[in-house]
Amino acid sequence: MILERRKKYLQIALNSDLIEAGKIIRNLPFSDQIIIEAGTPLIKTCGVRAISRIKEIALERFSNEEIKREYIKTFPSLMKFLVAGNSTSRQTMIDYLAKKGKSSSFEPYVVADIKCNDLARKEIAIISGVQAATCLGVAPIETIDSFIEECKHSHIDSMIDMMNVENPLLVLKKLKQAPDVVILHRGVDETEIDKEKQIPYYQIRQIKGNYNVLVSIAGGDTIEEVERAFFNDADIVVVWKSFYRSTEETAKLAQRFYEKLKISVVSTA
Amino acid sequence: MLNKKLSYLQIALNGTLSEAEGIIGLLPASDRILVEAGTSFIKAYGIQGISIIDRLWSYKLGKKGYIVADLKCMDRGFTEVIAAKESGAQAATCLGLAPIQTIDLFIEKCKELNIDSMIDMMNVEFPFEILEKLKQIPNIVVLHRGVEESEMSNKEIPYLQIHKILETYNVLISIAGGETFKEVRGAIFNDANIAVVWKAFSENPLQTAKLAKTFLREVR
Repeated sequence: MILERRKKYLQIALNSDLIEAGKIIRNLPFSDQIIIEAGTPLIKTCGVRAISRIKEIALERFSNEEIKREYIKTFPSLMKFLVAGNSTSRQTMIDYLAKKGKSSSFEPYVVADIKCNDLARKEIAIISGVQAATCLGVAPIETIDSFIEECKHSHIDSMIDMMNVENPLLVLKKLKQAPDVVILHRGVDETEIDKEKQIPYYQIRQIKGNYNVLVSIAGGDTIEEVERAFFNDADIVVVWKSFYRSTEETAKLAQRFYEKLKISVVSTA
Repeated sequence: MLNKKLSYLQIALNGTLSEAEGIIGLLPASDRILVEAGTSFIKAYGIQGISIIDRLWSYKLGKKGYIVADLKCMDRGFTEVIAAKESGAQAATCLGLAPIQTIDLFIEKCKELNIDSMIDMMNVEFPFEILEKLKQIPNIVVLHRGVEESEMSNKEIPYLQIHKILETYNVLISIAGGETFKEVRGAIFNDANIAVVWKAFSENPLQTAKLAKTFLREVR
């Protein structure tokens, strides 16, 4: 598994369009605890091009940041030039670092939310450069088994989305092998129409008590819901509504979520 | 939009764009052939892919062809239907296992945009139970045996369900999961209105173009 078991992650679902997605990614805080999701509507609208573009932008955003940090660490005396807005180019920094035998190895974690329901092998084959993909928990068991196997084969994390599955444990019991991540999900339409529908927090410990998997919670969007999910032992929290339309507030929102996330990590350690 | 008295053959395209182009070129031009942009195809090429298929098939027919966008919608019923309509599709699919709210929104939006709503009952043991819960019924119910299911288990095509549904609901029935002419004829013989094939086309387009011609000649 690519994700680390002891860490907590915030997953940002990008569902709008590629321009908005780019703006959001460029405003995200730099962290290996941020997961970027190419959302289903975006994939269905733009195809796999959406995934590769998101990956490109994320690489640009995060590896630039990492290069800058490494550069400052290696050449602390040059920091004042960067801070002063000196136009030291990315390539110059890479060249200097290379001379010191250093390079940037940070790879952003991107999830392709393909919501596979059939033809697992084919669907995994068309996505590339991602660290994880999703399959529906309501799909035939044969499909989920094949999906997990294909993910393993392709060295990416398998995520099973339990949206509209009443008892995820019953699905997990039928599988040949457990996935890397189980997503407990409250759909967008469900949430909007049935305000009473709750995120199934109680299932987190049920699942983690029986299977060595990470649990991701999707369907909440307030800072309180993110905190509550982590408090209830979730490893990943997926947010989307606040990010669905990019606003000038996006960076602030991400930063606020991230600050809360750090608090959660400390409190659960 | 489809005529209940006719039977249709739906060709699902799940390969590459150039394969799709080749297959459309081989198909006999007929209103009784429906062309489907398969889920994997949509995930690979997006709505632009659907538009290209629409243009190719409509050109071949000499008029607007019937394109099914196999979205297998699971959430956000509204947005996906709008995207399908914009791409030129006449029908879109939603999973029977999606939340009921999603299916309701999906059907409502399809009606509003004047495209056929297809509910795919793959992995649904009792399609009836889903239909009962809906605010309004869809235009088409798809009874489905998945690709992995048919390859890895002996699961049968659910012919038995057809009459049960038709006795109660005024819908068209589509049967997916068969590949041979015998299976296609079996589905229509068992009162399905649409038979969906995909595998044979990707493995042997010439053979299946022949199947389509045989279908048009022998099945009414």
